[in-house]
Amino acid sequence: MKQTVKFGLILGFICLIATFILAFTHEITKPKIEEQIRREEEAALKAILPEADYFRPGEADGIEYFEGLRQSELIGYCLKVTGSGYGGYIHMMVGIDPSGVIKGVRILEHHETPGLGSKIDEIRKGDSSPYFLRQFVGKRGDSLAIRKNIDAITGATISSKAVTDAIQKTVSEFLQKVKR
Amino acid sequence: MKTSSELIKGLWNENPTFKMMLGLCPTLAVSTSVVNGLGMGVAATFVLAGSSVIVSMVRHIIPEKVRIPCYIVIIATFVTIIELLMKAYMPLLSRALGMYVPLIVVNCIVLGRAEAFASKAAPVVSAIDALGMGMGFTWALCLISAIREALGNGTILGFGISDYFSPPLFMILAPGALLTIGVLIAAINHFSARKDDKRWT
Repeated sequence: MKQTVKFGLILGFICLIATFILAFTHEITKPKIEEQIRREEEAALKAILPEADYFRPGEADGIEYFEGLRQSELIGYCLKVTGSGYGGYIHMMVGIDPSGVIKGVRILEHHETPGLGSKIDEIRKGDSSPYFLRQFVGKRGDSLAIRKNIDAITGATISSKAVTDAIQKTVSEFLQKVKR
Repeated sequence: MKTSSELIKGLWNENPTFKMMLGLCPTLAVSTSVVNGLGMGVAATFVLAGSSVIVSMVRHIIPEKVRIPCYIVIIATFVTIIELLMKAYMPLLSRALGMYVPLIVVNCIVLGRAEAFASKAAPVVSAIDALGMGMGFTWALCLISAIREALGNGTILGFGISDYFSPPLFMILAPGALLTIGVLIAAINHFSARKDDKRWT
């Protein structure tokens, strides 16, 4: 009995130290990580809507977006889209023009299986952008579906569907809000 | 002499993948292309070396009966710190290796080495042992993924092998992993067994 308490205390002590070390590391790295994420977002914005010279952040019913402006004229939106993939959330940035046609899709973060689901973000040799995401460009964001106008990646049906469905859902909801 | 044998044993005699059958879960999942195999191998080697040194340093404090939860806490903490630091200071490396890092926590090679070696040896020897095991894991992953990538995708390291070969896709899906590892282990056991026969007759 006495031994059990002693072992429990030692284990608790080790966990306590681990917690402190983790909290410390988290505090130190937090601002840096947030800065990296912001930088990646900016890079994604510029890649999706290269014509825009200013991005104005906004929010509509839980959808975070940026208005892409060129000499204070609205030329498109960039929406933050989150899909539920095979290994966790897939965070994306989707660019649309004011009528809802997709200008570009960028994956910001994902945790899909390396070699299968990770192909949603794979760039083939000689290409400049991921082949899976390229097929979204030029299609209406509110009428996307696997097998209808989007080809899923073999062996990564769940990841492909997660990306497609999330874009379709978020863009449809967003367009309805903007029209009103 | 002894330290070099600690390094070399992980490459063949006690190879974690082919001889000890440890860490097969990430091996099956990740060995779809050589780049992935290499990435996982390097990341795992790093974590293995770090956690082995820490476990070895605290081996006299940890009571035997609660050692496994202690090791898990140490390994998980170490992996999380690496992940946070990589995200903050090496975003490019984090993008390339990031998705393998959480997989390493569940890699039983790391716990296996902590339990079988680092808890009984000094930090320096543990680090050498961990490096050897990591390299053994890395080359095993590279071999398996080279076979699977060549047969399943028709490429090696992304370069095409032949235009006249249409690759059977199942080789880069789960069945291909099981087949490849099974055949490789059968071949290795066959040759090892023959060697042993010669020694005894």
